[in-house]
Amino acid sequence: MDDKLTQFGQDVWWLVLAKVLLVFVFLVLMTLFAIWYERRVVARMQVRPGPNRVGPAGLLQSLADGLKLAFKEDIMPKMADKAVFFIAPVISTTCAFTAFAVIPFGPTVSVFGEKTPIQLTDVPVAVLLVLACSSMGIYGIVLGGWASGSTYPLLGGLRSSAQMISYEVAMGLSIVAVFMTAGTMSTSQIVDAQKDTQTLTLGGFDLTVPGWYAFLLIPSFLIYAIAAVGETNRAPFDLPEAESELVGGFHTEYSSLKFALFFLAEYINMVTVSGLATTLFLGGWRAPWPISLWDGANQGWWPLLWFTIKVLLLLFVFVWLRGTLPRLRYDQFMRFGWKVLIPLSLLWILTLAGIRVVQGSDLTVQARLAVVGGPILVALAIWMFWPDKRKAIEDPGVHGVDAAGRIGGTEGFPVPPLNLEVPVSPRAQRVLGERETVSTSKES
Amino acid sequence: MTTDIAAETLKLPSLDYAALAPMLILFGVGCVGVLVEAIAPKKARFPVQLVLAVLGIAASLTAIVLAAGTEKVTAAGAVAVDGPGLFLQGSIAVLGLVALLLISERSLERGGAFVAQAAVTANSEADRDQATRGSGATEVYPLIIFSLGGMMLFAAANDLLTMFVALEVFSLPLYLLCAMARRRRLLSQEAALKYFLLGAFASAFFLFGIALVYGYAGRVDFAGIHAAVLDSPNDIALLYIGLAMVAIGLLFKAALAPFHVWTPDVYQGAPTPVTALMAACTKVAAFGGLLRVLYVAFERSQWDYRPVLGAIAVLTMLVGAVLAVTQTDIKRLLAYSSIANAGYVLVGVLAISKAGLASSLFYLVAYGFSVLAAFGIVTLVRDADGEATHLSRWAGLGRRSPLYATLFTFLLLAFAGIPLTSGFTAKFGVFAAAIEADQTWLVIAGVITSAIIAFPYLRVVVMMWLSEPGESTPAVSLPGALTAAAVTIGAAATLLLGIVPQPLLDMTENAAHFVR
Amino acid sequence: MSLSPYIPIVGLFALGAGFALFSVAIAPFVGPRRYNRAKLDAYECGIEPTPQPIGGGRFPVKFYLTAMLFIVFDIEIIFLYPWAVSFEALGVFGFVEMVLFIITVFVAYAYVWRRGGLDWD
Repeated sequence: MDDKLTQFGQDVWWLVLAKVLLVFVFLVLMTLFAIWYERRVVARMQVRPGPNRVGPAGLLQSLADGLKLAFKEDIMPKMADKAVFFIAPVISTTCAFTAFAVIPFGPTVSVFGEKTPIQLTDVPVAVLLVLACSSMGIYGIVLGGWASGSTYPLLGGLRSSAQMISYEVAMGLSIVAVFMTAGTMSTSQIVDAQKDTQTLTLGGFDLTVPGWYAFLLIPSFLIYAIAAVGETNRAPFDLPEAESELVGGFHTEYSSLKFALFFLAEYINMVTVSGLATTLFLGGWRAPWPISLWDGANQGWWPLLWFTIKVLLLLFVFVWLRGTLPRLRYDQFMRFGWKVLIPLSLLWILTLAGIRVVQGSDLTVQARLAVVGGPILVALAIWMFWPDKRKAIEDPGVHGVDAAGRIGGTEGFPVPPLNLEVPVSPRAQRVLGERETVSTSKES
Repeated sequence: MTTDIAAETLKLPSLDYAALAPMLILFGVGCVGVLVEAIAPKKARFPVQLVLAVLGIAASLTAIVLAAGTEKVTAAGAVAVDGPGLFLQGSIAVLGLVALLLISERSLERGGAFVAQAAVTANSEADRDQATRGSGATEVYPLIIFSLGGMMLFAAANDLLTMFVALEVFSLPLYLLCAMARRRRLLSQEAALKYFLLGAFASAFFLFGIALVYGYAGRVDFAGIHAAVLDSPNDIALLYIGLAMVAIGLLFKAALAPFHVWTPDVYQGAPTPVTALMAACTKVAAFGGLLRVLYVAFERSQWDYRPVLGAIAVLTMLVGAVLAVTQTDIKRLLAYSSIANAGYVLVGVLAISKAGLASSLFYLVAYGFSVLAAFGIVTLVRDADGEATHLSRWAGLGRRSPLYATLFTFLLLAFAGIPLTSGFTAKFGVFAAAIEADQTWLVIAGVITSAIIAFPYLRVVVMMWLSEPGESTPAVSLPGALTAAAVTIGAAATLLLGIVPQPLLDMTENAAHFVR
Repeated sequence: MSLSPYIPIVGLFALGAGFALFSVAIAPFVGPRRYNRAKLDAYECGIEPTPQPIGGGRFPVKFYLTAMLFIVFDIEIIFLYPWAVSFEALGVFGFVEMVLFIITVFVAYAYVWRRGGLDWD
């Protein structure tokens, strides 16, 4: 295993320093660019121009905003836990930067006579490092919210951490399939494993499919993509910062450069999950199909371009989601994570493992079909014949409206009653119930 | 390539499923029990769980009987299946089954001895509500099954890490069970928290001890430690401190002084059926683990640990006997009695001989049956507030309900070690083994403390028979079939093992050989 | 000269931490300082703010529950990763063991689900 990783850790010291600096600059530039990009794209979706004053096409807008933030007043709230309040944004930012250390940008190139891969470093547990960093980053958020000594940040921080750990489980489960297929956790080797095209035979036609895991492991990719949005607190999962409920969430009390650091961390995290998605599922820095026909596409410095384009496309999806989808309610969101994504991931892992075990065995085609199809049929049968707990909805006599006064079943919309009687709101019932308990407790 | 290298170095452990079956069955049944909790409708849970648990333990017992005579180390050296291991597992299964009868009793109190939610603030309205009306939690069944499975694994663990895992598996459910008493909720919660915190400390000691022993021996499996003891070039201090810390973890679970302080509070606060389970089964498991550690892993350093553990045995017997004298609560009295009895078992253990091993095994079983029956009777003596555990309330009980007073008197005499009870046979066995091994000082201490501890037992007897029943003397509730069965089994075993102990003595004699 | 492959990670960590620390450290000196009482209060609506006590106030037990569930599943993931990486080598035996392990966790998961542990209100 280590024979392939020997190219890492061989660089001379100045090359390491240069690479560290370059990764850092790449991330800062990507952040500045992504903010501008997001604002412009959202603006286009909303048929308005977006920032266009500072620099050509407003490109320098985020830089100007960043500089402005530095010269804003730095407020330390009276009730804050000073040391923790101070250190929280540092934790978030540092973890965000560190996670990018193992993302591969390209193949081996020659720099001033030194042969070196365009990747800061790679280790046998590289993907684990990324996950560890994103987990540690949660500390910054929960501590920042906790240390503010204020209600909104505390709730925002808690929500945020609950959300991030929930989606981290789904994310962690989704990439198990990648490790299983690639047989390694090192990022450069995972990219390597995706280089060969696969041939699928469907009904007599030979289809050439890229070896990208996004195609081979579609469920994993979809779960990863959804979990990544939840993990980065982005719309439609941006509940910690739900303006209408929690002002700014965990960073409500933060101002000036401390706020800027949280902002920076959030965007770097977006870039990181996009970069990780590119590496794990989209073939990494390797050129996509039509370009890959050109021999030079995967050599020299070109792959840097393909990688960046892939990351930018993924960032576009982030912006696209934000531009089109409304924010979820917290309970819906948590339910989705725990009750849909996690069991789906586990089921998918088991299915994939089962298929691969059967593939590796020397069974006949019929036996294989029986082994793979049997459990699926059983699961389907259970799903089909599972007793439905929902009570049959009575027909109130009006076309399309059920007993609960809704159109379109329990998930549908409530409609006003035809007799124009104002129904008791469920909230009022709850208040009534609480009063009752209070009175009985006084009596006893 | 990568896979080839891995395939060469990777050796799959061989598992002897027949030998592991007793534990596997219990863990499987526990999982099914959790599923039943998740799926079954509320009303069906209690009967389903009860039947499932009884069948599970019975199946496990069958597997143990079928495996009798096996002597092997399996699961990559993690589990040893041998005479003492199987005997202890069998005792845990039988005693657990009897305890389960007590636990399942629902005729004494509506909804059983447990509340539904242990964590509700004590004495709050919700808490009073669930204590008076709510049906008890049926989660206790999977918890007990897991706990019993952990105890079995603990008695059979052949390396320190497996032992630690087993320790946690059987302890954690017990912590929870302690908090679920239907009456005196605050006391129950306090007991659970105290048990949990002290238990966590003990586990930490145990784990640290494992680390030090590993530092000395370079191995965690008992055979490896045995080979390394006294031969390893490492600092011998690592061994001594490590062994001391491992022993602290084990002594805590077995409730030996000075690590006994949790016992009275926890025994008093926990629901009485759970107390019975702890007094019988936990003691068997804890001594099972202690026996294996001392006899298999550290046998060659017995000259080092024997005097220290001997002092602990004397201290335990003294503390148990003397403090039992001052108790005014029957559950606390039985708790101190159990501490003293643990001391007597340790006397047998310290013989470090086949006779010592056999007599300790016998003692554990004999004591387990008696203590189950005793706590079973405690659950019956009740008034409007639940069990009447204060000793003054037991005054004149002999006049009110002679049958149960007679039974209880008989059990107390067994604890005191009067002939024709199992207590006598058991004590005689451990003392004989100790004398044979030149540990006369332990026997002297044992005899003296036996005389001391007879006093509190006799005080209870006198109180029950010679005092006039007062206004506050509660009547004994009519036991349901389950409690009646449990008390009958316990008392009958106490009597039988006192009159015809030979079959069980033969059995322990045959079983008393550890596989290494 | 060759460095351990982990050294560059430390390098990037140091650079990121240095940058972040520098930023938070200079922030109070670059910006204006015009404090008043209202600014230092907790950011809330209303006249009297209701700040959290030092050390955090009370919050729903739900969050603790989520954290505990997370630990359970995170440990499951930790066991899944090495198995996935050496999947080929472990073969059928590894697969069966992993199925058993996942089923065990699934039992607890089903229990939590049915008892409303995953529901937020």
